[in-house]
Amino acid sequence: DLSNSSIVTLASELAVSLDALPLNEIPAAPELTEEDARDLDALCLAKSHFELKEYDRAAYFLRGCRSQKAYFLYMYSRYLSGEKKKDDETVDSLGPLEKGQVRNEALRELRVELSKKHSAGELDGFALYLYGVVLRKLDLLKEAVEIFVAATHALPLHWGSWLELCNLITNIEMLKSLSLPECWVRDFFMAHMFTELQMIKEALQKYQSLMEAGFAKSTYIISQIAVAYHNIRDIDQALYLFNELREQDPFRIENMDTFSNLLYVRSMKPELSYLAHNLVEIDKYRVETCCVIGNYYSLRSQHEKAALYFQRALKLNPRCLGAWTLMGHEYMEMKNTSAAIQAYRHAIEVNKRDYRAWYGLGQTYEILKMPFYSLYYYRKAHHLRPNDSRMLVALGECYEKLSQQVEAKKCYWRAYSVGDVERMALLKLAKLHEQLNESDDAAQCYIIYIQDIFSCGEQLEHAEVSTALRYLGQYYFKNKLYDEASLCAQRCCDYNDAREEGKALLRQISAVREQGEPSSTDLSLACVFNPLINTTTPVRRASPLDLSSVTP
Amino acid sequence: MASVHESLYFNPMMTNGVVHANVFSIKDWVTPYKIAVLSLLYEMSTTKPMALLDRRRLNKLILPIQQGPDLTLEQFLKIVEECCLRMVNAVKLRLFLMADGELQDMEHFFTMLPNAFSDSEAFKTSVVGLFMRQMLLAYNKLSFSQVYKLYKSLQQYCRRGNQPELSAEDMELTSNEDPRMDINTRGPLSQKQAEYFLARQAYLLKNDENKAMSPAKLQDELNNILKFNPDFAEAHYLSYLNSMRVQDIYISTHSLLHYFDRLILSGGEGKSNGDEGYGRSLRYAVLNLATLHCRFGHYQQADLALQESIRIAQEANDHVCLQHCLSWLYTLEQMKGSDSVVLTEDSVKIAAHFCLPYLASLGIQSLVQQGAKQGMPANKLLDALRGTDIMHWKQSLSELIEISLAQTTSIWRMYGKSTMARQQAQLLLNMNSLEPVNFGVQQNNTEAFAVTLCHLAELHAEQGLYAVVSDIMKHLKQQFPPHTQHAKLWMLCDLKIQFEKAMNDGKYHLADPHVTAISALNSTEGLYRKAQLLKALNQTTKASKILKQLQQRCEKSKNTEMIIRMMLASAELHWDSATGFATAVPLLLQALALSRQHNLQSLTSETLLHLAFTQLMLGIPEQALVLVQDVLESVLAHGSLIDKGRALLLAARCHMALAGAAAQEHRLTAVELAVHTLDEAAVYFSQLDCKERMRDIHYLQARLHHSLGNISQRNKCAMLFRLLDQELPSSGMTVVNRL
Repeated sequence: DLSNSSIVTLASELAVSLDALPLNEIPAAPELTEEDARDLDALCLAKSHFELKEYDRAAYFLRGCRSQKAYFLYMYSRYLSGEKKKDDETVDSLGPLEKGQVRNEALRELRVELSKKHSAGELDGFALYLYGVVLRKLDLLKEAVEIFVAATHALPLHWGSWLELCNLITNIEMLKSLSLPECWVRDFFMAHMFTELQMIKEALQKYQSLMEAGFAKSTYIISQIAVAYHNIRDIDQALYLFNELREQDPFRIENMDTFSNLLYVRSMKPELSYLAHNLVEIDKYRVETCCVIGNYYSLRSQHEKAALYFQRALKLNPRCLGAWTLMGHEYMEMKNTSAAIQAYRHAIEVNKRDYRAWYGLGQTYEILKMPFYSLYYYRKAHHLRPNDSRMLVALGECYEKLSQQVEAKKCYWRAYSVGDVERMALLKLAKLHEQLNESDDAAQCYIIYIQDIFSCGEQLEHAEVSTALRYLGQYYFKNKLYDEASLCAQRCCDYNDAREEGKALLRQISAVREQGEPSSTDLSLACVFNPLINTTTPVRRASPLDLSSVTP
Repeated sequence: MASVHESLYFNPMMTNGVVHANVFSIKDWVTPYKIAVLSLLYEMSTTKPMALLDRRRLNKLILPIQQGPDLTLEQFLKIVEECCLRMVNAVKLRLFLMADGELQDMEHFFTMLPNAFSDSEAFKTSVVGLFMRQMLLAYNKLSFSQVYKLYKSLQQYCRRGNQPELSAEDMELTSNEDPRMDINTRGPLSQKQAEYFLARQAYLLKNDENKAMSPAKLQDELNNILKFNPDFAEAHYLSYLNSMRVQDIYISTHSLLHYFDRLILSGGEGKSNGDEGYGRSLRYAVLNLATLHCRFGHYQQADLALQESIRIAQEANDHVCLQHCLSWLYTLEQMKGSDSVVLTEDSVKIAAHFCLPYLASLGIQSLVQQGAKQGMPANKLLDALRGTDIMHWKQSLSELIEISLAQTTSIWRMYGKSTMARQQAQLLLNMNSLEPVNFGVQQNNTEAFAVTLCHLAELHAEQGLYAVVSDIMKHLKQQFPPHTQHAKLWMLCDLKIQFEKAMNDGKYHLADPHVTAISALNSTEGLYRKAQLLKALNQTTKASKILKQLQQRCEKSKNTEMIIRMMLASAELHWDSATGFATAVPLLLQALALSRQHNLQSLTSETLLHLAFTQLMLGIPEQALVLVQDVLESVLAHGSLIDKGRALLLAARCHMALAGAAAQEHRLTAVELAVHTLDEAAVYFSQLDCKERMRDIHYLQARLHHSLGNISQRNKCAMLFRLLDQELPSSGMTVVNRL
């Protein structure tokens, strides 16, 4: 049935449609009722007007119709007409402060009419959805949630209502308190919701079970899983999934900005360049395309051009959160701190829970040499992502700059405990201990640091194993543990910057040994260096010394 | 960098960019309400013969009407009606003609508007002239559809209230559970109106919190402004001030930082000050953060922020900012309770060097305060204050003048010169405000006024004028309602007065709750009062324990007045013990030395009275009498009623003791002198309605009359004594053991 399905797409026009799903479960089209048949002509006429965006005209021809479908199209046309006029008005408004004042005048009337019908129980799923949208636009959020829940009950397959509901739910308690219809769409919704609420593990589980249930080919699910992996910074998995996604759905533009972020993080220039060119060919006036190009220029260190493209993205959609944040990053690169602050602030205005913007603000102020000031912003970011080590490390650095060593130590240790992505926290902690002359603690930290670096297997650019080894060598030497000291010194010689010192230390050790007695007996310490000797096996061994004493 | 900035402006759709205000620079626009105001102005300038009184009233109306938020037509007409009835009809007629006619009528109105003002008294640069020209400009800039829209809204504006558009049921539906509708119907504020609103509220918050909007309401207004224009950074600052009122650290920090984030943008864009302005706001941002932590008592945080601000100010060579930092640094030190004289002195010197009069005299005032506490010579302190006063008057820094007067009041009071204190207090209270905003209005609700009024209340309480005291308290309560920031001052003062009164009346059970309340406001004072109460209840061990505690605390905070009081109280405790009088003497001498060193006259005389009493008890009444006679003059001149009575009572007892030892002929005169002195003391005590002391006096008088042989007098006194004795619970404390 043409009219019916077109209304389905109409209704979900505002939001992501589910057409990516293999909707093989679409129920058989209901029989045409008598009313439908009577309104058929008017409906067809109105629909063509509607598709030409002549909403008022569409509404005019539908005014006498009685059927549910016609009624929905009638109301929906009126709503969209109001929205369109509002947008036109915004350009043409009288003054800056009036901008926020421009409202969709049709909303109130629509609400009155819809609420009358609603209390009479005459609304179908689509009309309920529309009623909910109207309520949300009027900022009557509580009522809107109720109506959307009712809409999902009435028409569970309408993804638009679910999406609207998703925007209104702010926390997990609220989600649990809602009574939602038992339907397979519900699982999609839950998974989506979990992603929104940063409960990535649960989301992944849901998606996995959905894939097993027969949606394995759905590009929507693949993209969602990839985004989820991106959120938990599992870059390899996410990259793999995105590549797969592009194979299956080569002309897809959605989510490609996330993909480009990943490529950017991995500095994969050719891939990013290919993606950018490909997307420009598909559609160059899309927010995602602009973001990808922005990332591309940013990676090529052409920051001004990058900023330009992010601005273009914002022109296309001023509420595009990612673009604001990315633009802030570009301004930071250009050392234009005030513009960066502006961009980040905008990002926060669009979404208060954007931790990257808070983090960026913190960074900006840190660059301006205002560590205390940036503490607030880092704390905000940390509050939003309690288990992200980067914020903790940043916090620790600020505290260190403010000579608040106790707090700094806490931050670094916590950063290590939550899983340090950059593997810097321990090194910093060790250096801090070193500064404070707490040599035992420093040595322990260095030991764990070395273990950590070698156990993760991959080479890190900024790894300062040599520093750690050098310190450990000196430390063992001072404590007269000559075997360990010479071991460290030997390893030191593997690194360019520490070779001379390593050799010097070896000479010192042999000098001492010639004079005196070979003393070291504590063999347990040496086993710490197993990973040093055999770097390929990732052995994670508990330190012989009690580490809990390090935690402040 | 400039090109990047400008490229931000390309998007007129960017509803939450800084863009609009800066690019279009429209601060005001035409609304139906503005048209109503314009038509009023038009009528005023064309109606030539007008009663002088009407014209004056209307003229006074113009400014608030122009600057205030948009009113509905009914409100507007009502205001005008109160001033001039004839004008209302003219305005109404003109508006309705426009609204009921065609668009042409409105256009006609705007074309003939300038003619009316060209030959009238409204100059181009006057307030009215500027307003009118702005409106004309804004009107001429309107596009076709905007003009039509304006006309539509004018029609709606004029018809609202006359005929409801929706049926009653629908009205209910649209109006319920949506409080924002109220605000919306008033319309958004234009930038001009918003600026005026913010300036007004900020001024009131600083000077007269009472008149400002309530915190919740103000926050609503601010949220409303911010909703319409998120870039209106000043609103964030006011929100910071507002949440400081209710001690909300979360919102206040958030608003403060948001404000400065925004300010940094606008500072960077100003071409005139360039980078300088941008860096400057950074420095002040940190400084403000420091002050925020200071106000919430987070001293460590404040310290860190201050250090940061000092560091970046130093790097930028910004002496003014550094100076501000320095003055906050010594304030912080003071708040922490450590000595900051050196810092303050430095601050004053540098401030003077960089010609920052405000900071310099603030520093001097702070120095004077510290000096007074540390016993600096009085002439130096007052001289310093006088010196700054001259400067204040020259620069008309009314805020500092107020502080200075309040400070002088406090200093005189501390020195025990009640007359001088009263005089200074009156000087401040009778001073007219110098602030331009409410020029000529007597009262400002600043802290200085609160302090002075409290002093005044206490001074009156000392003289037993409780009716006046309650009047003052009523005024204070009215001016500084309990939720405002200075309310603690009068609360403490009120409690102290009530405590004293209860103690004087011997109603100890009433004094007890006051002690708890005082401790909540000021723990040191609370401890002292508790000790006093316990002493009066004869719980000596407990009292002495608390006094020890008090001593430790006072020595830490160097609160000299309290130390002396504490010493006197412990001396009194010593009296109760058997061998106490001798042990009390060194303590009293120490107190005497301390109070003399700090020029605390009232405490000196009180100490001397204590000393005299001790001597009397130790059996050297001659010495005691000499001491009493020495202090009597100053006590009678400056002391409180109870002190006066006590001094006279002590003098009489010395006379009695001397009379006992003296020869026959001297004895008679001495006894008569004692009777006479007791009479005088009785007057003071009866004024205070201090029954216990009256009982003591009657007892002594009866004894004296007995020894003189005046039987009738003796019987009368004895009867009075008996009446009082029956009325009062027997305290167990004999006349002997009390000063």
